[in-house]
Amino acid sequence: METKTEYKPFEVDQHLTAHGNYWAGKAGSRFYTALRDRKKILGSPCKACNKVFWPPRSVCTFCFGELKDLVEIGPLGTVETFTLVTYAEPIHPRPAPFICAVIRLDGADTGMAHFLDEVEFGQVTIGMRVKPVFAKDRKGNILDIRYFKPL
Amino acid sequence: MATKDKEWISIPMTVDVPYRFAAGSYMTKCLTELRDSGKIYAVECPKCKRVQLPPRVVCAECHVKNERWVELPHEGTLVGFTIMYLPLTDPTTGKPHEPPFVYGSVRLDGATSVLDHMVEVEPDMDKVWVGMRCRLVLRPKDERIGDLSDIRYFEPLPGQKKPQS
Repeated sequence: METKTEYKPFEVDQHLTAHGNYWAGKAGSRFYTALRDRKKILGSPCKACNKVFWPPRSVCTFCFGELKDLVEIGPLGTVETFTLVTYAEPIHPRPAPFICAVIRLDGADTGMAHFLDEVEFGQVTIGMRVKPVFAKDRKGNILDIRYFKPL
Repeated sequence: MATKDKEWISIPMTVDVPYRFAAGSYMTKCLTELRDSGKIYAVECPKCKRVQLPPRVVCAECHVKNERWVELPHEGTLVGFTIMYLPLTDPTTGKPHEPPFVYGSVRLDGATSVLDHMVEVEPDMDKVWVGMRCRLVLRPKDERIGDLSDIRYFEPLPGQKKPQS
């Protein structure tokens, strides 16, 4: 007679992985090279709408006009909103805890999310003035700004 | 117009989503036996007698419940293959398997369905052919973890030559 074996519940760990390249495009390439080579942060202005976008883009989101110029913005900025990340998820860009904040640079009309470090959880406020900390070894990606920190 | 000195930025990005799934009763038996005893278990349909690997509760053709387990040998026949020139992401690690390599479908002796895996043979059309006899190569027992990466690859049985057509 066949002996019956009991099996414990079994779980399998796998990965859903996509390897790809992000092409920064016209405006993005100039933004990253300026950041890498000159530590300058660029935004793209739309004269018709009187807006400056950061990160820079080649089409205005309001009037769909082509944006050809880039202007230097920042480097100081303001915290528009933030979140305190207290738990770890495998898809997070770094281990918890950390602060992720949307920062609007001086001279820009839009904000972008980045890390906010060198500050305690309880001390972060909306409207807080921050400045970027640049990486020493810059590679032409957004982590050339390592993080923002309060003034 | 783009000038020659203009640099275009491209940033390599990897999106990796690790996940975990419950194997269910049939795959649990299959993977536990693969890990602990190195045996390959499949199920046989009571109606059409097809032998399905990986095992499923219900026969994919007749929709009746599979009850009988059969142990399959580690040897089989290559029924189709491709030479990969692009990296293939290994779902058990998320890392790309670097090309070129041979990827094939092997029907283990006695099975109806096929098992797709790497074939450890030179990526050369003269060294691999449909009908080639292969065997499974498993990880050493103490390194097995109970997923499909416990099967490292198929290797050709020694002493074979590609038949001349």
